Amino acid sequence: MSDRAGWQDAVESELRAVGRELAVPPPSDPTEAVRQRLEGRAARRRHLPVLRTGAPRRRPGWQAALAVVAALLAVLIATPQSRAVITHVLRFAGIELGQQPGPAPSPRSSASLPGERRLSLEQARRQVSFPILVPAALGLPGEVVVSDDGRVASLVYRRTPYGLVRLDEFAGHLDQVYFRKIVDFDDMTQVEVNGTRGLWIKGPHELVYITRDGSSAVASARLTTGNTLIWGTTRVALRLEGNFGQAAALTIASSAR
Amino acid sequence: MLVARYTLPAHRAAFLLGAGEEADDVVQEAFVKAFRHLSRFRAGESFGPWLLRIVANETRNLTRSRRRRAALAQRLPSAESGGTATGGPVDEVLASERRAQLMAAVNGLPDRERQVLVCRYFLELSEAETARVLQWPVGSVKSRTSRALNRLRGLLLPAAQHRVTNE
Repeated sequence: MSDRAGWQDAVESELRAVGRELAVPPPSDPTEAVRQRLEGRAARRRHLPVLRTGAPRRRPGWQAALAVVAALLAVLIATPQSRAVITHVLRFAGIELGQQPGPAPSPRSSASLPGERRLSLEQARRQVSFPILVPAALGLPGEVVVSDDGRVASLVYRRTPYGLVRLDEFAGHLDQVYFRKIVDFDDMTQVEVNGTRGLWIKGPHELVYITRDGSSAVASARLTTGNTLIWGTTRVALRLEGNFGQAAALTIASSAR
Repeated sequence: MLVARYTLPAHRAAFLLGAGEEADDVVQEAFVKAFRHLSRFRAGESFGPWLLRIVANETRNLTRSRRRRAALAQRLPSAESGGTATGGPVDEVLASERRAQLMAAVNGLPDRERQVLVCRYFLELSEAETARVLQWPVGSVKSRTSRALNRLRGLLLPAAQHRVTNE
């Protein structure tokens, strides 16, 4: 008792033991309530005319990033065959994020976006409503694909130090969802790309393309490869995917012009 | 998904930090705020402690507004429900009594000291995590922990001794 460390250890271990014994009632599942409240807020916002006219919302950066992401990636992920087991999909600032329990589905090599057309970079630029940025760090893409009547442009680099690298670009409208993904938030890190916020997602995740009418394009569902970086400018949102680390991805991203 | 994954730890934290029966409300509020304020989620931070910080804040608001926090002492399972201890029923009862006393002592601590003990020993967070959750400097976590432990020692030991002579 006179030994300070001794009594302290004793009290500490007793406290831990008490902590493990404490009966805490089971929580009720907040998922539905949370979703409704977030969507309710989104709905209210949509009805505010001032917001519709494009008055800048004071969105903190991460939200802005997520809006872009949404536009962008919206990562999403829900392959159709796994939809049944998705416990919940949350909409946040136009992005749909879900976390799926259980093992990820096997990758599908044949996934494609709707209406893919292989074009030259110049042709592609005439087909889309947003500027197509090309990362100087990777040079000119081996392949340029425009999908869904110019809604998405993808630059494909087959031979890079990082294996196959893919850069999807699309208009960053706040209320549209381009992709939906299932991702564990623990795998997401906020990063900075050219002074704006980006989202770094480590590891493969499911990605599916969402069409203009809001349905997921079944054939587009796939598991991403490597890691993903999502960021945007005021006019275009970008989603970079490949087998690189965060630093290399940021270098590539910040060289996009 | 995210909500499903973090509900249990968030609820436990809310409950033990003093929200009691209103822990479900705190958790719901915390998730809503977390998603609305993802902008404040810093790079490299993991979601769990960040969410717990919001949970701790919400719990503080709740207990402040109702001017009380939920006590925990009665939550200890009673000795008769046990049966796993190897020391026999008598030891079990003694251990159970000691823990009930300890719990009562924790409940009697000033708010901050109670919070730090809940984080450190009931939620089993590290000092650094506790500092983030409670939004205190690590130094305060250390000093309040040691002050709280000292108090428990002062409260517990005499009680333990008196119990023998008084009963």
